[in-house]
Amino acid sequence: MFLQQLINGVMLGSTYSLIAIGYTLVMGLLQLLNIAHGDVFMFGAFLGLSLALLNMPLYLSLIIAMVGAGIISVLIERFCFRPLRKAHFLGPLVSTVAFGILLQNVATQIWGSEPSRFPQTTEVAQFQLGPVLISSIQIIIVVTSLLLMVGIDQFVKRTRIGRAMRATSENPQTAGLLGVDIDRVIVGTFFVSGALAGAAGVLTALVYLQIIPFIGIRQGLIGMVAMVIGGLGNLRGAMIGGLVIGIIEVMNDAYLTAGYRDMIIFGLFFLFLMFRPEGLFGTIERQS
Amino acid sequence: MARGRKTSVLRLALFFILSSALAFHTSALAQSIAGKEIRIGVLVPITGHGANAGKREAIGVQAAIDVINAQGGVYGVPLKMYLEDTASNPQEGVNALRKLAADHKVLAIVGPHYSSVAESTFPMGNRLKIVQIAVASSKPGMAEANRPYAFRNTITEDKIADPVVREFKKRYNIKKVAIITDIKDAVAKFIGVDILPAAFKAHGIEVMTGNNPVTFQTNDTQFTAQITRLKALNPDGIGLGALGPDALNIITEARRQGMTQPFMSTGPLHEGDLPQKGGKAVEGTFSGSCWSPLLDTPGNKQFVEAYKKRAQTLYPGPYTETPDYYPAWAYDAVFMIVEALKKGEVTNNPKDLESDREKIMKYLSNLRDFKGVGSRGFNEVGDGIKDVYVDEIKGGRWVFITSK
Repeated sequence: MFLQQLINGVMLGSTYSLIAIGYTLVMGLLQLLNIAHGDVFMFGAFLGLSLALLNMPLYLSLIIAMVGAGIISVLIERFCFRPLRKAHFLGPLVSTVAFGILLQNVATQIWGSEPSRFPQTTEVAQFQLGPVLISSIQIIIVVTSLLLMVGIDQFVKRTRIGRAMRATSENPQTAGLLGVDIDRVIVGTFFVSGALAGAAGVLTALVYLQIIPFIGIRQGLIGMVAMVIGGLGNLRGAMIGGLVIGIIEVMNDAYLTAGYRDMIIFGLFFLFLMFRPEGLFGTIERQS
Repeated sequence: MARGRKTSVLRLALFFILSSALAFHTSALAQSIAGKEIRIGVLVPITGHGANAGKREAIGVQAAIDVINAQGGVYGVPLKMYLEDTASNPQEGVNALRKLAADHKVLAIVGPHYSSVAESTFPMGNRLKIVQIAVASSKPGMAEANRPYAFRNTITEDKIADPVVREFKKRYNIKKVAIITDIKDAVAKFIGVDILPAAFKAHGIEVMTGNNPVTFQTNDTQFTAQITRLKALNPDGIGLGALGPDALNIITEARRQGMTQPFMSTGPLHEGDLPQKGGKAVEGTFSGSCWSPLLDTPGNKQFVEAYKKRAQTLYPGPYTETPDYYPAWAYDAVFMIVEALKKGEVTNNPKDLESDREKIMKYLSNLRDFKGVGSRGFNEVGDGIKDVYVDEIKGGRWVFITSK
């Protein structure tokens, strides 16, 4: 049973990782939190659901939902961050809270407040590997998450725009002086961040079958915890942080009671902030 | 001519007899019901988190009034609904109750919805000496603590659990069960932690999870850990302390992990279109209820029809267009009050308001064999008496497997 629970935890954690990466990208770049990120995730899930209901194949609805969520994320940058770039750092924090509530209400208007569910279009194949049971959907989730994570890691490491992102994150002034188009880098980062959240939304809704417009609130908070545990602005840290949280959550439900779950996760969050604010893998500090 | 005189004498006699009979009748009517309307109060949430349920209850009351008034009201006097919003909170509830009792001078009240509101309005109703018939407020002992004016036309979950467990055991040859329960939602938790273990033990079924049930929180998005644990226990069946939407995810995940055992729960399982949304996974799931839109009785058909018609004009919308059991009990409550009016010698005269209210209370206290849509009256502590039906999901819908 332990092995099966470990698999369950990895599966849950992999979507948390995708959300945490989105947070950490924006955090690393602007040193600011995007509170509406969880709601971008929710929107992605609903977009995926709507497309699946139109009988669109999964990979296509995943891509379209990612693009849609990316665009919403760019809108967040445009309306919540850009006009407030010179404002007090709490400005964007509050404006993204408002934008998140807006997204929740828009989703309620479009899809209703009652739970919606993905259609069971394809038979789910099951694979019994010794004591462990894995379904095709779980494999899709883990593989897709892994591909996206490796992809984003390499993207930031190796591509021109990735280099520009890292440069901007390290020192925006210098990057600007050296010819990096800061605005474009920021927009690109928000798009990637939103697209990852959208992918996480679709994958989550796939296995958990049922979504409501308020699903993003908790997922967003969990993503934030994963980011802090991994280290602010640290991509690989966010990946590991998400997995750690997923495994903790599953193990708690398996061996303790669900009532302790949030206590443990947010207690851990608190402990990290108190005693190891740089996280497991170190915070990427901006040189000022 | 003699014949003519004879017939005219007969006619005269007939005239006297008829007119005296009529006169007697009208005087009898004047004695029993006065005024141009009979005022029924409704005390439900129209705003706040209980708004949807409150609106459905108000529609249920108005639907009953529609039916009664179409038949000429009570001795020719029509009923009229006076509604006050509790806003889903106790302070507003008390204000609304005072308004209904003192300003609108209603004879009796249907409501409130929430137990938390009833905790304030039930004692106040006793002080004001006015009947309240709640159709939800299922916290145990609420009416008992507020005799004699508080009534609940609803049934406690333990009375549903017992026959469901009996049929569940019979059908699936259940010897040992595991329980998975919500620990956040009060009603679901109560079912999973208190009601189901007691009901299983009463039928000699071993509860494998003992005092340590598998737990989750309302609206969780993942149940993999819980199901893996249930699967390892390998019970004959699973008891659910869950609301409909969560039950859907739990059962679906169980089937995904290859569990084939049947699930069961009580009333709340009927929320959220479980049979339609769950498909093959939820077939064979057991539950119980006191009311269903499918209930094939003339009274129920009349209720559903009157409800749907009224819902189009009073609070139209997707959350009110179809009735559930709350409006059914509100509908019955109005008919109970009307029976009390007729048989309890209520005058509806403004100067008799206090004694009228007391007469209604006394009549309802002894109401045992009422013939409503699903209500049979009240027991000695003011809680509803109802028929319980056990049902299962079959072919994508709930189907009765027993009556009573």
